[in-house]
Amino acid sequence: MKLLRALSFCLFVCAANAFEIDDVLDRLDNALTIAAFQDNLRARLSGTIDVELYHFQQPAPGLIDSNIDNLFNPRLTFFLDAQFGPHVYFFAQSRLDRGFDPSDHGAQIRLDEYALRVTPWEDGRFTLQVGKFATVVGNFVPRHLSWDNPFINAPLVYENITAISDKAAPASPQDFIRRFEAHAKYEFNPVIWGPSYASGVSVSGRVGQFDYAAEMKNSSLSSRPESWNVTAMGFDQPTFNARVGFRPSQAWNLGLSASDGAYLRREAAPTLPPGRDIDDYRQFVLGQDVSYALHHLQLWAEFYEARFEVPRVGDADTFACYFEVKYKFTPQFFAALRWNQQLFGTVPDGAGGRVRWGDDLGRVDAAIAYRFTTHTQLKLQYSFQHETTGPGDDNHLLAAQFTVRF
Amino acid sequence: MRCRLAGLNTVLALLPISVLADSVLEGRVELPKSHSAPVMAKRYEIVTHSGVLSTQPPLAVVYLDGSFPKQTSPPTKQIVQKDLTFIPALLPVQVGTRVEFPNLDDTYHSIFSYSPAKRFDLGRYRPEERPIPSEIFDKAGLVTLRCDIHEHMRGLILVLNTPHFAMTDAEGRFRLGGLPSGHYTLKAWIDSKTTHEQLVELKRGETVRVDFP
Repeated sequence: MKLLRALSFCLFVCAANAFEIDDVLDRLDNALTIAAFQDNLRARLSGTIDVELYHFQQPAPGLIDSNIDNLFNPRLTFFLDAQFGPHVYFFAQSRLDRGFDPSDHGAQIRLDEYALRVTPWEDGRFTLQVGKFATVVGNFVPRHLSWDNPFINAPLVYENITAISDKAAPASPQDFIRRFEAHAKYEFNPVIWGPSYASGVSVSGRVGQFDYAAEMKNSSLSSRPESWNVTAMGFDQPTFNARVGFRPSQAWNLGLSASDGAYLRREAAPTLPPGRDIDDYRQFVLGQDVSYALHHLQLWAEFYEARFEVPRVGDADTFACYFEVKYKFTPQFFAALRWNQQLFGTVPDGAGGRVRWGDDLGRVDAAIAYRFTTHTQLKLQYSFQHETTGPGDDNHLLAAQFTVRF
Repeated sequence: MRCRLAGLNTVLALLPISVLADSVLEGRVELPKSHSAPVMAKRYEIVTHSGVLSTQPPLAVVYLDGSFPKQTSPPTKQIVQKDLTFIPALLPVQVGTRVEFPNLDDTYHSIFSYSPAKRFDLGRYRPEERPIPSEIFDKAGLVTLRCDIHEHMRGLILVLNTPHFAMTDAEGRFRLGGLPSGHYTLKAWIDSKTTHEQLVELKRGETVRVDFP
């Protein structure tokens, strides 16, 4: 209750003093931007403060890791953007929060992203980037941060936990199906874990109406945040991701993505069948994405077909997609709606038959947002998730997120 | 007789103000030493171009405060978006002026303002967008322009009640000509928190020098 009162007070102050707050934060922005060597070295420190409140049913949906139904999840994020002359750019992102995904755990601080980018030519035909950074696959990454994401959470494919576990191989097909425990979600993996800030190297650029990007990362798209650090997972089993984009006009952007890499962590090696290595079990992903934008309307859609090679089971296939629309009704108010779907294939059940390896489900996300100032934003979201196979469980989620951008 | 007087009024009204008002104000404004050297966030852009954003030297707007007739035919001004920058970065206009925002880049821009003097959002628009997106600035005050896509982009429109204003050059020098005689307050707008002012007396045909410390 105290928290709600504090949040209400913040909103009241923002609404009443919007212009002054904007001015102060603009001045802070200027103070946090420096230049030297005749402006050849420029650096800017910026960030966001996110205060999130969740109310949901157990088991908590998506990657929310909490045994309590009402979750308070604050987050402080710092960004560093630096330009060294016309060709070299560096960026970093560090967060102080309760975990990479919303959780009821204690505070932790992480360096989530850091990368050095070299762009030799002015026309953007080629860029080389090295470091720990978001994947080039799909079209969600450019809007995954709290200020840009119309929603508070990610599309289903980026956060729905499946029966795949990168920590241990199943002992049998039955074990693969039955061991999945929604409450122990951090033992399992989604198809793509968030924006997948894995470490590696990428090349990208544009040729006419086409753009391309390819990367070699140290861990697969489904890998957990702990696997993204190069110190945790080396490049013994690299993952290769690529995307080709076609932009017939500024309004449309179409893309095809692909990914191939080993998805098991080293601790899974002792649980594998004799003579097999973690590199023998791979995650393949094919993706198609499309986006459209004109005036106050924006649309996005992604389609993913994923295959996991599961020890002692075989191929586990899944298909996931979503359609998302955002419309800005006034300069400060917008609303968004998203339909998500994930379908699961079948695997051998060990008794001569086949069984679905996950419950098909759909989820509707609806959000409204109001920008009090150019630096403060409030989002409210309701999500309804429904399993269309299996027990047919439903889950309702209510969430609020207040963001201050500086 | 009444008809003749009406005719004379019409002729007088059509005469340019400069014929009746030919005082000149010139001088210098002490400008801040700092300048803006923006940094573009390219974190999640697959296609990036080399190069750095242009720097913006600090400039001031000098204007004669007072009661002046409103514009009968408001002019149209432009602020273009080129190389991911607003050009000019600071534009003074009289109340009632229409400002167009042509996009000269090969990418979308989404210009908006939440300033109390003008709240608007043009949405995402292409370089070839016609008619060119525009807004009429009908309330005096400072309007901060931003782009919803390119966070570093920032521009200012200073909407004034007076038709007598001028931008300084990078050295702070200014010249205001064609001014009417009388007692006025001359103001030098530096930024949102700093406006200097001095009282001036203008006599017909005279040039008055005013320096702002």
